[in-house]
Amino acid sequence: MAPDGPLVLPGETIDPSLVPSHPKNPLRLGPGLRHIPPTDIVPTVAGQLITNPVKNSMWIEYNSNRYIPSPNDLILAQILRSTTDAYLCLITPYSAPATLPHLAFEGATKKTRPQLAPGQLVYARITPASANRHMDPELECVSATTGKADGLGPIGVVGTTSGSGSGSTGPGCVFDISLGFARRLLMARSREDGGVGVLEMLGGEEGGGLAFETAVGRNGRVWVGSESARTVVLVGRALQETDRAGLGMEGQRRLVKKLVREMK
Amino acid sequence: MTTTAAAPEAALGVLPRADGSANYSHAGYTVTGSVNGPIEAQRRDEHAYEAHVDVVIRPAAGVGGTRERHLESILQSSLTQLILVKNFPRCLVQIVLQVEDSPENDYVNTKLVQASLNFAIMPALMQTAVLALLSAGVPMRATATATAIAVMRQEEGAPTLVVDPSTRAIETAQSAHVLAFTSHGGLLLAESEGDFTVKEWDSVYDTAREICCRSAPTKEGMEMVLDEEATRGPDMRQFLQSTMEAKVAKDLHWK
Repeated sequence: MAPDGPLVLPGETIDPSLVPSHPKNPLRLGPGLRHIPPTDIVPTVAGQLITNPVKNSMWIEYNSNRYIPSPNDLILAQILRSTTDAYLCLITPYSAPATLPHLAFEGATKKTRPQLAPGQLVYARITPASANRHMDPELECVSATTGKADGLGPIGVVGTTSGSGSGSTGPGCVFDISLGFARRLLMARSREDGGVGVLEMLGGEEGGGLAFETAVGRNGRVWVGSESARTVVLVGRALQETDRAGLGMEGQRRLVKKLVREMK
Repeated sequence: MTTTAAAPEAALGVLPRADGSANYSHAGYTVTGSVNGPIEAQRRDEHAYEAHVDVVIRPAAGVGGTRERHLESILQSSLTQLILVKNFPRCLVQIVLQVEDSPENDYVNTKLVQASLNFAIMPALMQTAVLALLSAGVPMRATATATAIAVMRQEEGAPTLVVDPSTRAIETAQSAHVLAFTSHGGLLLAESEGDFTVKEWDSVYDTAREICCRSAPTKEGMEMVLDEEATRGPDMRQFLQSTMEAKVAKDLHWK
């Protein structure tokens, strides 16, 4: 776990003793920081400064609602329409649409490509090449190195075409959450590091072993799918309530118990 | 130097659907601001290399007119300096400021169209916009603080300065000034009205800088010169800092 740093506001000077120094690795700047050559590192948002001496990186931890695309993020996009060689997808409302090429699916060729209708949800990655702020973001549902989908692809469709994607089944629904909460859900150890145990509780004994699946997008959207529509609504409400009220572990346990009791 | 108003108050994230929002009340004015951005700009607002900052001011009653357009243009040029507009080409950052409450003026019918600029409200608008931008997490170069000062000329002796003057005080004042400073101490906005000398403006500048850019620890010797603590006026930078501290602590409760 990275040591906790101080609160910073935009334009404040960062104490040079806080900047990690590593003999070999170059310093990596994460979100919320900008480098003014030659030596200044200045925060651009209000948040907490986090440094990681092992990876020689530093970033600002903060919460917001507007997603700004950055390469290699896993996001939940919605197809708007199809052009001759790509789909146009919505990542966040009112921002420029992202392109998803027809051939960026597992096993897709010019003859066999997935037919996606407008409104279809896609779990996709922002390509490493689209780092340029002057370009609209580009998405992919296939790993460029292995050619495998790795769980990316259309969500919530019965029998997806050309075998691409996870091909999840059953009814599902998308819920909006804050970006900080989405990042916490995506942590490898979200219970220990992120303090989110609500999904485990719902599937465990507190929630009576509900069966559901989720797909969390960095863009502040989470898809919940289940055979039963009741479960979908319950899980979505539990997630949104945990995010909005900022519940701790004990609060989440109480919320799950309350929701399960109400559902019966 | 005298001040008339109580300490400012603010709440962040009051509007659930906006990307960022703030409610701010100080010196009798209450303003709610919302920020959305960076979002896709309309074709006519689009700029190839930087984001367009759109400021909309809505008065407490009725629809906005020329006065609001004038205030918008002043705020727009100041806020463009603060936001890192070059990071978001072809985008739009939309800032809407709704005046909810303004102090009543017992002496003048407020319905009358006044040709002059409304000085007393400008610090509240500026402060709300900055807080809403911070709440939305829009990347910024620095933060800003603003204050209004009126110069009342006495029959004899030196003119007195009134910080956060009432509407009545501005009408009877010799001159009125609004100044905003960035967190680096740079002058961001300076609007003045009325008759004043360069010397008077200098003292207004020093007072406003003291209010907006006071560094946290105060020196013993300085306080002796400025005599009573009460006359030093509000500390806007400290206020901004503590408001944001509360917000970040709430957001990162899980850490």
